[in-house]
Amino acid sequence: MTRMTPGQIEAFVDASAAALDLQLQPEHREGVLRYFALAADMAALLDAVPLDPHVEPALNFVPVPPGKHRP
Amino acid sequence: MTTAADLLSKSAAAMAESVRGGAVSATALAQAAFARIEATDARINAFTARTEQRALQRAADIDAKLAAGGEAAQALRALPLLGVPFAVKNLFDIEGLTTLAGSKIEREHPPARRDAVLVQRLEAAGAVLAGALNMDEYAYGFTTENSHVGPARNPHDTSRIAGGSSGGSGAAVAAGQVPLTLGSDTNGSIRVPASLCGVFGLKPTFGRLPRTGSYPFVSSLDHLGPFARSVRDLALAYDAMQGPEAGPIRDPGCLQRAPEPVAPLLQDGLHGLRIGVLGGFFRARATPEALAVVDRVAAALGAGEAVELPMVQAGRAAAFLITNSEGAALHLPDLRTRAADFEPLSRDRFLAGTLLPAAWIARAQRVRRLYAEGVARVFERFDVLLAPATPCAATPIGAETFEIGGQQLPVRPNMGVLTQPISCIGLPVCAVPVWGGSEERPAPLPIGVQVIAAPWREDLVLRVAAALEAAGVAHAPVAEPGAPT
Repeated sequence: MTRMTPGQIEAFVDASAAALDLQLQPEHREGVLRYFALAADMAALLDAVPLDPHVEPALNFVPVPPGKHRP
Repeated sequence: MTTAADLLSKSAAAMAESVRGGAVSATALAQAAFARIEATDARINAFTARTEQRALQRAADIDAKLAAGGEAAQALRALPLLGVPFAVKNLFDIEGLTTLAGSKIEREHPPARRDAVLVQRLEAAGAVLAGALNMDEYAYGFTTENSHVGPARNPHDTSRIAGGSSGGSGAAVAAGQVPLTLGSDTNGSIRVPASLCGVFGLKPTFGRLPRTGSYPFVSSLDHLGPFARSVRDLALAYDAMQGPEAGPIRDPGCLQRAPEPVAPLLQDGLHGLRIGVLGGFFRARATPEALAVVDRVAAALGAGEAVELPMVQAGRAAAFLITNSEGAALHLPDLRTRAADFEPLSRDRFLAGTLLPAAWIARAQRVRRLYAEGVARVFERFDVLLAPATPCAATPIGAETFEIGGQQLPVRPNMGVLTQPISCIGLPVCAVPVWGGSEERPAPLPIGVQVIAAPWREDLVLRVAAALEAAGVAHAPVAEPGAPT
């Protein structure tokens, strides 16, 4: 995966925030960009791991029988 | 004659024995705990709520039933934690109190209608709830520098952090306020404060203990567990909390396994155990002081072989992304409308976490599986692995960076760098407190060592921890907290 440039991060953050109706305040923006860049670095580490299609996600769904749900 | 105040510095097991034998009343013990909290908490800031009325009522009930004799008294005397005061991180539901999870936002919510399952279970084992404890907001932090209520302070040096996110849980035990607390651990939030406060902490296998009635951080990664000043106390509390849930509402992340008691196994010793020391990632991110304590523990256990975990950096990255995304998505409605009410130290991380591409997170969950399979192969050759719990001892409150391996790194995300790859794949860990560094590098503050085993082998981590305690390598003294320097 090609590393995202600072400009790409900024564009992605703005577009995603708009899609989520999340209005980033000016005083929060610098921190958000910094943490998004850190997450992008982490994602690059994951992208370098070869995964075949049979590697399952580490999640299990438990079906809910009648009477076993929240009130 | 041992007074209740004297007993407070002893183990939970000793307290229960004294109540059982009539040497001290549960009421006197509860009063002594609240007196200690009153005398020390202005300097520690561990407690965010004290349940004094409830505790004294419950202690009086215990004393009355013991005095009445008969079968009820006999049944009470069999309880392992009879009359033992305990407290819980303020993300556990306590009937009649609002569950804050370290936040300002949750203050507006109604009180909990019942206790969390683990609170119920400890009380069923005879323990007496004394209150709720300070934590990082929504458990997203490793320092408990909570801007809403102030930082939890390290009882061994009140100018320093207690660690987090269960900072109040580590500090209350270290300060001798209560002998037993509960916390949660998503990426290290039990092991980090245990390490920095110099107490024992147990993070059980993912899916072992039910989380029903606790405020979630990252359901995919959240664990609950106890802190104590002795391994036996950890084992007694852990055993009391095991087992499938009886109620209709169950934690879908809990595997509802039958209890596998560990307290009877603590004295089984080290015979036959293959113990390795984690190298590579785990040494490169530790200070010489942290490496010295791991090496002391390894020497005491006769463990010489260095072990590399496969894919460990990718595993840590997976935990980071899952945490950032899942934790943030939980709070998206509040982040949209009232971001300014969040903890300033973690707010921007939460905001960024809402924006991560879904493909990153789906991949993180698959990498996590592959990493778990790789580590499972390591456990075909070893029973127990050792690593530092934190890169260093407690840092000053307010410190932004620390130096590891010649690099200046931010404290808040990196204090858990050595715990995060282990909880990512749900392995059981006991953090054991070690003091003094080495002869070459004496250290006045503790650093914990992670004793790690394969899934469902809490018995092994507690056996090794008990051996280290018996050998005097690990211990958890009560601190006499002074004023901040």
